[in-house]
Order: sequence, then structure tokens, then C-alpha cells
Amino acid sequence: MTSALGSAPTGRDDRRARPTPTRAHPFPWARAAGTGWLYVLPALVMYAVFVLRPLVLTLQYSLYDWNGIGVARWVGLDNYLTVFTDSDLLKIIGNAMVLIVFFSFIPVALGLLVASMVRRITTGAFGTVVRTILFLPQVIPLVAAGIAWSWLLSSNGLVNQALRAVGLGGVARAWLGDFDTALPAVGVIGAWVLLGLCTILLVTGMSKIDPALYEAARLDGAGPVREFLAVTLPSLRQEIGVCLTVTIIAALASFDIVYISTSGGPGLQTTVPGLEIYRLAFSQRQVGLASALAVVLMLLVLACVLPIQRLSRGEKP
Amino acid sequence: MAELLTKFPRRRTVLLASLLAVGMTATACSAPGEDRSSTQKSDAAVKTELGTDPITLEMYAETGFPLAKALADEFSKQHSNVKFNIREDQFTVIVENAPRVMASDNSPDIIRLPTMVDLVKDDLLKNLDPYFTAYGWDKFPASQLMQLRVGENTRGTGSLYGMGLGYSVTGVFYNKKLASQIGMTQPPATVAEFEELLAKAKTGGVQPIMQFNKNTAGINFPHQALQNQFGDPTQVADWIFQKPGATFDTPAALKATQTIQKWAQAGYFTKDANALDYAGMVGEFQKGNGLFMFNGDWESANLDKSMPGNVGFFLFPTESPGGKHVAMSAPNTFGVSAKAKNPDAAAYFLNWVHTNAKAREISVTVGGSSPGGPSDLPVPSAAPNTVLAETLKASQQLGTENGAVDFTANATGGIFAAAITPEMQKLIAGQQTPEGYVKAVQAEYQKELSR
Amino acid sequence: MNLSRREQLTGRVFLIALIVVTLLPFVSMLSAALQPRGTVPSGLEWPSDPQWGNFADAFTAANMGALLRSSLLIVAGVVPVSVLIATMAGFGLGQLRVPGGRIVFGLFLLGLTLPFEAVVTPLYYQMQDLGLLNTRWAIILPLIGLYMPFAVFWMRAHFTNVPVELSEAARVDGSSTWQLFWRVQVPLARPAIASLTILMFLWTWNQFLLAIVLVDDATKRTMAGALGAFQGQWGTDLVLLCAGSLLILTPTLIVFLIFQRQFIKALIQGSVKG
Repeated sequence: MTSALGSAPTGRDDRRARPTPTRAHPFPWARAAGTGWLYVLPALVMYAVFVLRPLVLTLQYSLYDWNGIGVARWVGLDNYLTVFTDSDLLKIIGNAMVLIVFFSFIPVALGLLVASMVRRITTGAFGTVVRTILFLPQVIPLVAAGIAWSWLLSSNGLVNQALRAVGLGGVARAWLGDFDTALPAVGVIGAWVLLGLCTILLVTGMSKIDPALYEAARLDGAGPVREFLAVTLPSLRQEIGVCLTVTIIAALASFDIVYISTSGGPGLQTTVPGLEIYRLAFSQRQVGLASALAVVLMLLVLACVLPIQRLSRGEKP
Repeated sequence: MAELLTKFPRRRTVLLASLLAVGMTATACSAPGEDRSSTQKSDAAVKTELGTDPITLEMYAETGFPLAKALADEFSKQHSNVKFNIREDQFTVIVENAPRVMASDNSPDIIRLPTMVDLVKDDLLKNLDPYFTAYGWDKFPASQLMQLRVGENTRGTGSLYGMGLGYSVTGVFYNKKLASQIGMTQPPATVAEFEELLAKAKTGGVQPIMQFNKNTAGINFPHQALQNQFGDPTQVADWIFQKPGATFDTPAALKATQTIQKWAQAGYFTKDANALDYAGMVGEFQKGNGLFMFNGDWESANLDKSMPGNVGFFLFPTESPGGKHVAMSAPNTFGVSAKAKNPDAAAYFLNWVHTNAKAREISVTVGGSSPGGPSDLPVPSAAPNTVLAETLKASQQLGTENGAVDFTANATGGIFAAAITPEMQKLIAGQQTPEGYVKAVQAEYQKELSR
Repeated sequence: MNLSRREQLTGRVFLIALIVVTLLPFVSMLSAALQPRGTVPSGLEWPSDPQWGNFADAFTAANMGALLRSSLLIVAGVVPVSVLIATMAGFGLGQLRVPGGRIVFGLFLLGLTLPFEAVVTPLYYQMQDLGLLNTRWAIILPLIGLYMPFAVFWMRAHFTNVPVELSEAARVDGSSTWQLFWRVQVPLARPAIASLTILMFLWTWNQFLLAIVLVDDATKRTMAGALGAFQGQWGTDLVLLCAGSLLILTPTLIVFLIFQRQFIKALIQGSVKG
């Protein structure tokens, strides 16, 4: 569901959609009979029952101390207090923030680099092959990515084999089991999954840039770097915004990859909020605390994503 | 999203909020769980007859331990109306899943249990006392079932909630070839001797200890082995059984933790121990990549097969010469779910495992463990010169020395996953001090008991 | 504008490096999957005697037949219904512009960034109360609800762009709203619907969290959930694990390769366009 976050329709769409003065009452008969609502209702009901109701319940649970089986005890905001004071839980939230660097910044930066180099290469047969392959990580379950990379990064895995082959055997280690490298190693898995998507998005966006802009820049005597800064980057603002949004959500709400590759260890080195919510709710039966953490996670996602949405659309010409 | 916040007039947002509030009050009129009453039936009428109706027993067992399946197969052979549907997971996964699985309507009849107190508290486990009386399990040595009893929030006394598919003993397996290579002629008699051997192995280029520490802390094995020796083992047992006032913050535990830290710093564990899982450890040990491995007799049959004649076993040595051996020894606990559809058949199976001659033999040959059961039944013997024979003998020796204690990992439902495992991983990676370790484990323990 | 030769060359080198990195994990899994059972393979080495039989073992161990059936059943339960009701809602909000529609749309937008972890706990108890735990319904029903924000958003964006004159014309014809929707609008919306279908198929097939929380029986889960169970059981047998994982991946890969053009288009639009 990582790429589920669409962006709001652009102003362009809205303008086109309101061409006639009749738009306010295109279907007066439907309006009168309320039939219009019948079309919206099924989706709304499913959404209300299976998303809004649970969401409200999460808020409610978060105010209780409940083991999921017996009767709950009202504790007010105590669970939130725990989330913000327990050093383990803070560390866990911090881990998710660190993952943003890997899930988000690296794929976007690398994607930009590659995109600016290949600009128009993704046409033709070679382009199709490239796109297909780069999209593979998006298509397979994250669980599979986790399994594949656990093996790659294990003591006997390919990464260490390669290191030993070039005489760097001293650096070889169990990457996912080492306190210093476990979190970055998990991050690398995420970067692998999201790099293809970001690259293709950016390349596609770049192909839409008016070549005249580049011509103009070159006539001004701009080198590749200035060209990138002056033309490419501003033109890709929206695509970059989308990439950041999608990948940041993937980082903060990560679960599958961590669950499979490290189960949160060593120590709490790679435990992320999603995993901790699952553990607290279903293994340790602290449903209230789990719910409070869930609410915090939800707000954290919004706090990270909304500014990006604003920036990337803000004063776009 | 942008549209929501930037284009939505404030009025609308207010409306939204009030809509949500309506939904809130609609659901929030009662505290969670109020309408969920526990439905533990305690009617004492239990059947000890299996009957002839076709039954399918749902069993939830541990991957990599073929005993449960072997026993189930044999049982079906003897009782053709009973079939088993066995689901297997790794132990860590069972620990994680057990409460949820047992609370669901598809709860298995027989399940490999992690820790019991919480499950009992939540009414998820069937009280086996009626079966205890009906089947006359009072003829078993009382100590055998002691760990399976849960009373008023403590363990060790009270009602019976589980039975063992074999009763295991733990100790140290060693690779005989590597042992003679470093000049070890007989098992060490004291902890000091054991440490000398570790040092010798290290200088001789032999990996001293092959121990897993991923997912669950395998280094808790040597840790508790040391802890048992450095103090009064009843202190350890009291803590595990949640006796009031018991604490993990003892000089014995601290000294054990310091020793583990020392071993880790000396490189007695593998560098990738935190990334080595149980199967990986056994695999490496079988390949001859380690001198010692702390493990239990459930692995004996397997080791006899994979490294015949090359593997030995000893109980962890005592601190001073001639002292009393203490070892972690526990039933391979299986319980009957409170929601089991066929509790009588499940109990019949558990009784059969302890008393049927063929089943007892399977417990030994496949499970590698003492079958338990009434003391007047003979313990099936193992082939001579096998490690299986050695572990069986150790098990009997421990019985006569009365040195069995449960695993500290079983003290509470969350202690292993929430404290021992992560803290032990930190300890051996130099991220935690021995003092910090002991305090962290005790803190988690108190947190859980106070819930 | 022509790119210089050097620029093109570096571009290609970069792309090829990227492709190698993308493919390596799969290749490494394959090499491990072909080693003899019970060995501890290392890195990437082509086995002298590839054990293709491991895949047969994994097929049995994973109960592939049942897994495929289960995933297909879940997809069949989720995707058509989601697409239909989302299209209807998109039509209602984007074309009919029902009164109060903006508030409803705002409600849907609320769910757009919602991590599934935020609702999975109450969903568990809700499913328990409904007696649906450990059935495929426990995955199907919540997924439909959880997809609604994106799906409605997506379809509304399409219908907002359809000129209202079209509907006007239909009104002159005297057709009912349903006829207009079903005969005129839905056929026109086919590309949007196709992309949505592909995305939902993929997300359903790969759904992990709901599967492991709400369904314990691996043969009643989605493919990703089943793979999780397979890892839970065989995680210690690397050879079998790799063989099984590749096997479980295969159906997705085949579908992807057949429809790759549509997939990529859908995925790109899914993230960029509204």
C-alpha cells in the first residue's frame, strides 16, 4: 500500500471540469431523489465500518489499560505519557526516523542522479527492459525482499563473499545482527525496494520537461550542474514531492521488512513502531499502549507528509 | 491531503470533527472488553475413554522437533479414529502467537507452550486437575509436574496446566575431536576448569563456544548455568516461580553476567552470535566449527546421527570441586487450550505419551528426553556409546542430586522477548554493562508482575 | 536536443549497475535454492549439481496449490467489489456532485495516509466479534474498506475530468442515472478502472500485516502472509526457504511480466496522478 498515496488533483483538472454554468445542477432529478447518495453509500459504509470505526476505537483503546481479554481500566493519557517518556519507545520512534534517510532520501537522491543522466533513455526496447527490471522490487511482496536480503547480508551471504574476494574480509560481518550496522542494513533493503520506483517516476517527469528550457540554459552557458539546479530540479518539484511522500510513509509505517529480516533485533536496534504496535497488542497484550503508539505514528506520518505536500505544490506556476 | 487542509474551509473541518465525535460517543459508551466475559467451563465431568468417534486433534508444535509428530503418528496408528492436524512454527513465533491463537475460535487442542502464568490468568489454558485425578497422575513423582503447576499468580504450586512431551535436561555438548586436539581428556569438574578449556581452545585456534543469540538469546543458557552455580539455586527457582520478593538483582546473577561479558570480550562466542539462530548454531556445531555448545537433550538423537561417536555431553560443572550439579531441566510443555474442541482426547493423548511403552520409547529415541510418567515404569534405554545414553544418564544423575531448575526465560510471558533477549544481545556486543543487564531484566519482571 | 555520446554512455553504465543491484538478490536466492538440502550455502556459487528437486519439496512443504487458491479467492473477494463501489462513489462525487459530497470526500482523504498498523488492533477485535477471525473474510472486508480512500480519490479524479456535457446529452436522451453510469460513464472510465484493478490486485496479493494478524491458517492467507508463515516454519532451512520464496514469487512475476506495460503505467499514475 506504499504507493497508495495519490496526490490531490491538480488545479488544471478542476478548471477543466467546470466548463459550464450548469455544473452546479447537472442532475437535478438525481439530486431531488437523493439517488446520488446511493452511489456514494456503499463505499462510505465499507469505509466507515472497517476504517473509521476502528480508527475511533484505536483512539478509545489508547485511553485504557487493557489486556485485550478482561475488562479495561480507564487511564486517561497515561499511555501517551509512556510513549513520550519510555526510553525504549522513543528509541523505536527514532529508528523509524532514521529509516527515512534510507527509504526516502537515498532513493530520491540516487534516483535524481540516475534520472538526470539517462533522461531520455527509457524509450525503446532497452527502456522497456530497464523499466520492467527496476519495477520488480515494487511488485514482489516486501516479505520476499526481506527474505532475499537477509540471506544476502548474512554471515555467509553474497555481500560478505564479495568483501572477502576483494580483500576486505575484515569488514565482513553479520550485517543484520551487528549493533552498528543492523538499522542501516534494514534501510538498504528499503532503499532497494523503492529506488526503482523513484527512478522511473523521476525519469518520466523529466521527459516532460520542455527541451527548450535546457537549450536556453545552455545558451546561457550553464554547465551540467547549473543546468540540473536551474532547470531539472525545479521542474521535478511535484515528482520529488510524490517520491518523498510515498517513501516517507513507507519508512514510518514499515513492518514487513523488519518483521522478516531482523524481528527488531539485535537489542531494539531495528524495532520500528509498526512492529512494536503488533508486539504490544498481540504478544504482550498491552492493547492500550499499542493503540497510543498507533495514534502517535499516525500523527507522525501526517506531520512529515503534509509539509511536503504543501511545499511541492505550493507556488507552482 | 493537501486539498483537505489547504482548500477546506474551516467550517467544514469543524463539521468533520463533530462527525468523528459522534462516531466516538457511539462506540465509547462502554470500556473495551466489558461485553467479553470469560467462558471457562469448570465442570468436573471428564472422560478418560477415547471412544470410537472420528476425531481430529489440532496440534500446534515447534518446527525442528520431530517428537510431537512422531508421537502423533504412533497414536493414530494405535487409535485409528484419531487424526492429527499439526501446525508447526519456530518457537519464537509460537511465543508471539500463542495468546492470540488460543483466544481465537480456532484454538488448537494441544499446544506447545511458552510460559503459562499469563495464559492461565487470561483463562486461555485448561485446568488439568480433573484429569490428574481421573488418570491417577499422582503416581508420577511430584517434582516432575511441579513446574507445570500454576497457583495464585505464581508457579510451582497450584493447579496443573500442562504436561511434558519428554522431560529435558540441559548441559554442554562437546566435539570430541576438537576436545582431544586441545588436550581435554575428561569433562571439566569445576567452572574454573571449564574456563581454562575455553582459554586453551581460543589460543589453539578452536572456536570455544558455538551459541546462538538471534531472535531468542541462546547465551542465556550459559548465563543461567553460571547463575545456578554462583548462588543458591532456590533463589533462581523462586524468581522463576514469581514468589513474592524474589529478585533477579542478586550477586549470583551479577557474577554470571560479568562472566558472560568476560567470555564475550575474550572472543569465546562467535563474532556473529547475535545473527546466529538456533538451527545455524546446530549446523555449525555439527560441521565441527565449535568445541562446546550449550543445549538440551532434545538434540541428542540428531547429533548421534550427524556426528556419530564424535560428540559428548556433560552437566555444567560446579563452582567448587564435588559440589551439587544444577541444570536447567524442564518438561517440553504442552497444554490443552481452554477452547479446545476435544479436551478429553487431548488429555488421553498426554496420558498415553507418559504411560504407553511404545510412546515412551519414542520419547527417548526421537525426543532424546526422559519420558517422565510413573516412577515404576522402566525408562527405555538408549544404544551404548551414544550421546543419547550420556544425556539420559545425566538426567537421572540430576534427578538423584535434585538439581533441576526451570529456565529463567520462562519466568514471565514477556521476559525473554522483552528483556533477556535484547539485553543479552546488547551485553555481548558491549552495549550493556553487567549491572545494567541485571537491573533491566528485573525492571521488566516487575513491570509485568504489576500489570 | 541530442545527448552527447559520453552522457549517454555514463547513463547506460549507471542503469546497468542499477539493474545488476536489482537482480542480484534474486540470483543469489536461486543459487542457494539449488544447493543440496541440509547444507549451509555461501554467497553466490553455482552448484555443481543443481538440485531442482528442492522446488518440488518446497511446493509440497508450502502447500502451494492451496496458497494459490486462497490468494485468488481473496483477490476475487476484494478487487471487483472495491472497484465497483469506488467507481460508483467516484461517479457520485465527481459527476453527480451530491450535496455534502465535499465533506464525504474529506472523510475519505483522512484515510489516505493512514498506516494499517493504526487500525489493525481494533479490526482484530471487530473480526472476533463478527466471528470471522481466521476466515478469508477477515482479510477481504477490511481491505475493501482500507482501499476506499485511494480508490474513491482515484475514480473521483477521473469523473471530475469528464465533461458534464456528456451527462447532459444522456439526460436529453431520457436515460436514468444508472443507465448513464453503466452504459456511458463506466466504458469511458475503462483506463482508470484498469489501472485501479491492477493496483488493487497487487496490494491485495502482497498484503502482509492483516494476513498475519487476522488469519492464523497459512492456507487461508494472501501470498505474502503465506510466505511469512513459510519463513516462520522453515526459516532455519535456508535452501528450502529460498526455493519456497522463489516459488511463491513466481505467480506475481508471471502476471507482472505479462501485463508489465499496464502495471508500470498503473504504478506510476498511482503515485503521481490523482
